[in-house]
Amino acid sequence: MDPLLYVLDLIVYIGIFGIVALSLNLEFGFAGLANFGKVAFFLIGAYTYALLSQTGLPFYLCLIAGALISAIFGLLISLPALRLRADYLAIVVLAFGEILRLIVKSEDWIAGGDWGVTVSPAISLMGASHRVDALVNIGLVYFCLFICFLVVQLLANSPYGRAMRAIREDEVAAEALGKDRAKYKAQAFMLGSAIAGVAGGLYAQYLQCVLPGMFMPMVTFTVWIMVLLGGPANNWGVLLGAGLVELFDRGANMAKDYLILPIDPSSLQYILFGALIIFVLLYRPQGLLKESRIKTKAIELARYGRSATKNKGS
Amino acid sequence: MERPLLEIREVSKHFGGVYAVNGVSLDVKQGGICGLVGPNGSGKTTLFNTILGLYRPDQGNIYFNSSCISNLAPHQIYALGLVNAFQLPRLFLQMSVLDNMLVAARGHQGDRLLNSLFLRRKWQEQEKGLIQEALDILELVELDKWAFSPASELSGGQRKLLEVARGLMAKPTLLLLDEPAAGINPVLGRSIFQKLKDFSHNGTTFFIVEHRLEILFEFASWVYVMDKGRTVAAGQPQVIIDDPAFYQVYLGEE
Repeated sequence: MDPLLYVLDLIVYIGIFGIVALSLNLEFGFAGLANFGKVAFFLIGAYTYALLSQTGLPFYLCLIAGALISAIFGLLISLPALRLRADYLAIVVLAFGEILRLIVKSEDWIAGGDWGVTVSPAISLMGASHRVDALVNIGLVYFCLFICFLVVQLLANSPYGRAMRAIREDEVAAEALGKDRAKYKAQAFMLGSAIAGVAGGLYAQYLQCVLPGMFMPMVTFTVWIMVLLGGPANNWGVLLGAGLVELFDRGANMAKDYLILPIDPSSLQYILFGALIIFVLLYRPQGLLKESRIKTKAIELARYGRSATKNKGS
Repeated sequence: MERPLLEIREVSKHFGGVYAVNGVSLDVKQGGICGLVGPNGSGKTTLFNTILGLYRPDQGNIYFNSSCISNLAPHQIYALGLVNAFQLPRLFLQMSVLDNMLVAARGHQGDRLLNSLFLRRKWQEQEKGLIQEALDILELVELDKWAFSPASELSGGQRKLLEVARGLMAKPTLLLLDEPAAGINPVLGRSIFQKLKDFSHNGTTFFIVEHRLEILFEFASWVYVMDKGRTVAAGQPQVIIDDPAFYQVYLGEE
């Protein structure tokens, strides 16, 4: 295969999973919600996209619909689940993801069951080479990534983000200081699900199919590794994490194509991922980049004074 | 006649068979410092937590500003202007001292999801004012030098001060303080009470649990004494000090 395509493919994957990692960062990094069912909302976005694009709806509406439906599911599951303690929340959403996958797998009428359905690419240029197709995808994915990053970054550096972090730190104290924790958690969960839904739609159109096998629980754990490795509550960190993990993941696939190895590298990487997560949690629990502090204009002004902010050009 | 700021009527709270608060009725009048004393385990903190909505009373009603608050959630009670500082500081340790203060600001526009994204100019402007207020209060408790440090770097006494400062930040109508002077050196403890007294001119009333009686009695205008979940005495500090019930509670029977 064209070696450049491997690189372009890697860049698309980093973009898509960067978006999912951002959504988990919003939920876990800032709001402290252990969402172990991330793949469920990724799946909802992907299947919504796949089914709607068959009706001839333009791709951007399919993406938005995927986000909306994913957000609705996120809200519905958060209402009962957020009343539970963190560990039970994890179990509930983990099970939710598996149940969804088994439903689309066994109910053929939804989207072809085990065989899945094919999805046409969002933007197809006549007679374009694979390389150009990949470049178009990169443009689309990174545009979406930019918007998601902007939203999460703006929220993280706002009074809303401050309230979310306060709830993560001590929810009773935050509640006693006027923060409706149930509302904040449900909103974070809903928004996180919407962002994961966008990523799901992009994933479906990039691979041009949806199959139940694409949404194994391992996807959730891969995203968790990205967040924990890169640094929870640091948006740049989780993008770095997404980059490193995907480099590793796609690299293993590439190694399989080019090298003759005694063991399958894509199986070996699961073992290595497991070791990596233990290593990170033991020796660098804050991740590669530590939590970013809350930066609002007013805080920067108070901290560095008027002239300093002006010199920085902001 | 004007109704008291806080009215507690026959409030009980029990845990299993233990009545932590047993039919307590008391009033906190507008203005100044009202004290609540009693031996350990007499139900003071439970009473506070019940007022704050952290516990729901099993019996009785609590009125704040003439409206019943017994069934409200803590964040709703806070929004009405009834705020508290915890006995053991519950700070947001990963956040800066200033951010801890700003979380407590009441009515911050940017606290809402959509406002935080779409009304940026508005809350940015509001936040400038809030930061100034926060720095002023931090100066009052001598924490202004630490404003941009993480709260986790503060000492135990400083954490206590920040907990009190955070309560003041909300510009509450009534601030409940659970042992504000505990674990703080005596000179600073007295100066905190002096500052609270000064602060009460801004329209904040204080309801304070405190074991450092010599300080509390100097500043409080009214004191309630609790024992075994009940109020056993009430009055002005100089009267309470001669009350046999008060002696019995604190020093035991002869």
